Amino acid sequence: MPKTKRSPLWLLGKSGAYAVLLLGLVATLLPFFYIMVSSLKNEAELRKTPPDFFPQEPTLKHYITILTDERIPIERNVMNSVFVSLMRVGITLFTSSYAGYIFAKYHFRGKNLAFGVILIQIMIPFQVVMIPNYLLVVKLGLIDSLWALIIPSMVDAYGIFMMKQFIESMPGELMDAARIDGATEFGIYSRIVLPQMGPPLASLGIFTFMATWNDYLWPLIVLTSPEKRTIPLLVVWFQTQHSSNQGLILAASILTLLPIFFVYIFLQRWIVDQATQSAFK
Amino acid sequence: MTVFSSLFKQEGGSEGGKLTAKQRRFAYTSLTPILFYMGLFTLFPIVFAMVMSFFSYTPIREGSWFLGLGGANPFVGIDNYIELFTGTSKPAEVFRLAVKNTFLFTALVLPLNLLITLPLAVILETVNERFKTLFRAIYFLPTISSSVALVIIWAYMYAPGWGLLSIIFKSIGLVPPKSWLQDPNTIYFGVPLAMICVVVAHVWQDFGYNLVIFVAALQGIPKTLREAARVDGANVWQEFWLVVVPLLRRTVLLTSVLTVISSLQVFVIFQLLTRGGPKNQTQTMLLSIYENAFRFANNLGLASAMSMVLFIIILTLTVIQFRILRTEWEY
Repeated sequence: MPKTKRSPLWLLGKSGAYAVLLLGLVATLLPFFYIMVSSLKNEAELRKTPPDFFPQEPTLKHYITILTDERIPIERNVMNSVFVSLMRVGITLFTSSYAGYIFAKYHFRGKNLAFGVILIQIMIPFQVVMIPNYLLVVKLGLIDSLWALIIPSMVDAYGIFMMKQFIESMPGELMDAARIDGATEFGIYSRIVLPQMGPPLASLGIFTFMATWNDYLWPLIVLTSPEKRTIPLLVVWFQTQHSSNQGLILAASILTLLPIFFVYIFLQRWIVDQATQSAFK
Repeated sequence: MTVFSSLFKQEGGSEGGKLTAKQRRFAYTSLTPILFYMGLFTLFPIVFAMVMSFFSYTPIREGSWFLGLGGANPFVGIDNYIELFTGTSKPAEVFRLAVKNTFLFTALVLPLNLLITLPLAVILETVNERFKTLFRAIYFLPTISSSVALVIIWAYMYAPGWGLLSIIFKSIGLVPPKSWLQDPNTIYFGVPLAMICVVVAHVWQDFGYNLVIFVAALQGIPKTLREAARVDGANVWQEFWLVVVPLLRRTVLLTSVLTVISSLQVFVIFQLLTRGGPKNQTQTMLLSIYENAFRFANNLGLASAMSMVLFIIILTLTVIQFRILRTEWEY
């Protein structure tokens, strides 16, 4: 880089740059922050007009209500979200890496056609298959079952594509050597390919987890009873049923955000990089 | 789009040479269930949605043995489409409004998004690495958050009278609207206030995505090009407009198409923040599809026809996207 003279103009530009960035920062974080501090206000403070920004007497009562009131089956709802998310992550990782392995390392007639069929999924927006898939789920007897969230999403075309790309770059010698040593084809996948796939599996897993955890429209369509709800549905139910109790709604949305934030704090760099790359695949 | 171009690549020689019969059998038996699954949950639904759009279809009616089509669910040809574009029934009228609103929403989101993300990315590119990572991470935060929670946040921000936005407006001497989300009569330059509010909330939620893409694209511009410009006597401004902007064109074009495609499919914010109101001013295509199919649930054929209209629009954009991706660009 050529040396830039630190003239007053340069300083002005630099501080202007930081000022704009900080403004963006405040605009991004302020809504989150305001909701978080507001969730600690008691009813009287929530009703105050105009409101104080910070609670005068911070209280955790809304969180305690959500977590302890028997009429709110939050444990069930959290467990539902966790169950569906983990199942979908596990299944997606398996089907993606397995199919990716076959597409990457086996050459057979009809391979491109088969791969093309799978890629159609990427081109089809969800709302096109939403109505037929609903009828299908009804036919399969899965309405109001958590399996309705899992079974239609067991194969992820993008995941297969990603894994195929990665496995293609793996050297074939190890696989051939294992084959000579008498390893089965599945054994090569499970004992040689899979252990090398940590990074791509992790990023596919994180994205699948976040997408499932935040998913709203499909659960809204196929789940009906309160104890089957996932977390986003619980929050919406709060919003419609307890609209007078702002504190509960705010606390519930903070609880929804927290697990994802927690993951994000540790993996932000990786998540952002992955998201950037995936846009151009 | 490397996803699809990889299809047309010539098969390279396989490392193992010819497959043994055993290996071929393994490949076929492993893929068969996966392809069968894709057939059931992707191909069949697409075809069925197309077919359904030509029927008057209600699942509770007993149709023929064949997927309930025919019988009490009669074939109506292109009647559903004619109804959507010219009919006077309530769903059709609302849908036409929804098409208009969806395009209006998209037409507002795209420029606003670019207006924020492009300058911000350029500025972000100039600060030191550690700050860059930190800012990038924070700007990206809304995109990974649950849309439902974000809608709750914005409902609270837009609360009439005591919401944070009203407070901010008052503190800088402006008169905040009495109602941000429910007043059908406040219209600025032909855009209803509720629509503006939804656009703002959506762009806030979504801008981080384009931002990180632009930052990556800026980092990808070879340093030598910028240095060459500087050696030739270009100032910072010229360097930006004559070197950086032309090189960013492809990324901006592509990102714009992706932004449009995703804007056409926004759902949560419309369904929860404004519920399509006031007076259908924020009714969108996807919301119409959802309501006709699952809330009113009386004519899935019509709802399918709506989804086909949206599908064709998105498909056209996707084709444009591939065209851009296929074009060779070299530095």
